[in-house]
Amino acid sequence: MSSISPKPLSFFGHFKVVLGKEIIDALRDRRTLLRLLIPAVLMGPLMLAALSGLMASFETQAEKREITVQGLEYAPTLKNYLERQTYTIKAAPADYEAQLRSAKLHEAVLVVGKDFETELRTGERPTLEVVSDSANQRASISARAVQRLLRSFNQERAGLSLALRGVSAELLVPVDVQDRDLASAQARASQITGIVPMFMIMAVLYGALTAALDSTAGERERGSLEPLLMNPSPHFALVLGKWGAVALLGMAVATLSNISFIPAQLLIQSDSLQAMFQFGWSEVLRGLAIQLPLAAGVGALLMAVAVRSKTFKEAQASSTLVMTVMSLSPMLGLFNPGGEAPWYYWVPGLAQNTLMMQMLKGEALSVARVLPSVLACAVMAAVSLWFVTRSMRQAVAR
Amino acid sequence: MIHIDQISKQFISQSGGSIFKRAPQRIVHAVQGLSLDAPNGRITGLLGPNGAGKTTSLRMLAGLFQADTGRIEVDAIDVSQKPREALARMGILGDAHGLYPRLSARENIVYFGRLQGLDEDTAHARVEALAELLDMQRILDRRADGFSQGERMKTALARALVHDPANIVLDEPTNGLDVLATRGLREALRHLRSPEGGAKCIVFSSHIMQEVELLCDHVVLMARGRAVAQGSVPELLELAGESRFEDAFVKLAFGNADQLDEEALA
Repeated sequence: MSSISPKPLSFFGHFKVVLGKEIIDALRDRRTLLRLLIPAVLMGPLMLAALSGLMASFETQAEKREITVQGLEYAPTLKNYLERQTYTIKAAPADYEAQLRSAKLHEAVLVVGKDFETELRTGERPTLEVVSDSANQRASISARAVQRLLRSFNQERAGLSLALRGVSAELLVPVDVQDRDLASAQARASQITGIVPMFMIMAVLYGALTAALDSTAGERERGSLEPLLMNPSPHFALVLGKWGAVALLGMAVATLSNISFIPAQLLIQSDSLQAMFQFGWSEVLRGLAIQLPLAAGVGALLMAVAVRSKTFKEAQASSTLVMTVMSLSPMLGLFNPGGEAPWYYWVPGLAQNTLMMQMLKGEALSVARVLPSVLACAVMAAVSLWFVTRSMRQAVAR
Repeated sequence: MIHIDQISKQFISQSGGSIFKRAPQRIVHAVQGLSLDAPNGRITGLLGPNGAGKTTSLRMLAGLFQADTGRIEVDAIDVSQKPREALARMGILGDAHGLYPRLSARENIVYFGRLQGLDEDTAHARVEALAELLDMQRILDRRADGFSQGERMKTALARALVHDPANIVLDEPTNGLDVLATRGLREALRHLRSPEGGAKCIVFSSHIMQEVELLCDHVVLMARGRAVAQGSVPELLELAGESRFEDAFVKLAFGNADQLDEEALA
């Protein structure tokens, strides 16, 4: 029985044993893992699909060339104009005001007064009302289309009157205004797809969270940290092994979340968005290059935050701050669009978000931009791991 | 062989206080000049009431923190100088002995075996041997999640002994065990002490007199951080002039207390 001879493991040997155990341990916690995985992997694609549905409905409305009018029988001239513009005319329901307010009616209503035709003929400037509700987003968007239509009706009428008097209609428009949009198709889409990086960063955070808390505060709560430190293992090797498992889990969830956007594209209903949002395997790979350093850095940071806590619950409370700051950092970009400052690339979380946005806009990623984010994450990981090692020793020495 | 020479440890404890007033700090002498010799093939008991400094002493022995003064040697290796070499020669069951609930008993034991430097096959062979010694074959492949107190304790003990250490340190191992499990543990420790079991050096702490009386060859009686008496059970009975060990314990551990206080005051 006493014929065994243990050979002291190398530093790397200790690391490997701990890493293997921590991965098995984390993967066995299936319930927690699934609960985190489902929102992390499904939320982004589902949000994208929902937004694309909204966009698609705008597009079809624009394509339909329909107009809802009340009292068109009083305005044969307008009716003639609308028909010439190939618009389908729909009569407004009697209770259109109530329907607009409750968002049951999605189109603005054009209301024509009884004396429209006579007033128009005598030049008395009849009034046309475009009724919508600014809280009803779809109706107010269609109101803009109706107004555009009526403006060109106005122009036609004015042009005709001037022509009758022998004046050129061009006098009314001394300047010719033309729009030129410089945004590429992908840049336009990024207004909608701007939420995508946020979900990917959240996936990284959630993937690393439980394992980070379990391997530090959880270990203290169970009373297994003390026996672990009574093994002849270098403490830094133990911490590295634990961190390896945490970072790998964060990376695995990040990878799944990235890949999930590929089938998600099939769910996009809006044709133009589908044309604009291109997320293929090369985007997956570039996205991972951006996110994996974050998974490593954030894993270490979460461990450092949790290791001071005696219980899992306490650790969850303290990690909330990290989670909130990280997942809200994309907001900075939303509030300050286009105002990317050089220091953005040095802030973990914000840097990844900025880089992801650029990638989705179709801009090329340069090493000069990616490198600061990788370096920042590496420094964050190194400092955190040093702190975890120190705190672990202190935690048992009391 | 474990040799403890004149170790002391004091802690600073924070007392009450309020938001505006900083709490006054109080110095607690947890261990004061404890010496102990535990040779191989002997079970040395550390007996004392709660708060006597037993756990603090054993935690210093395990290298979790350093003693303020004094030396601790395990097989002539200084624990504070070479903690990892010393830990490799000890199997320690501390007062915290949590298991990993999602791992089976076998996996829990093998994990520590691997960290102690055993290869995969040896570690598994050790699990079988220890399972027989501690009568825990039935629970080996169950996850530790649903273990009873006794099953947890057996697994933790097997985990501490997996590398077949020459020195075994147990801090109140019978806490929460029923009569049968306690008897089983006693048998196992007697076997480990015997030449067939490897003539281990065993240090065993407890606050239960009966345990120590039944098991230990040599008893160190601790009270208020000091060793107040030591010797075999008959020697201690004789010293106290009592026929029952409990009476001797109370007399030696608490009887001198007033005397000690007087010393401290003087």
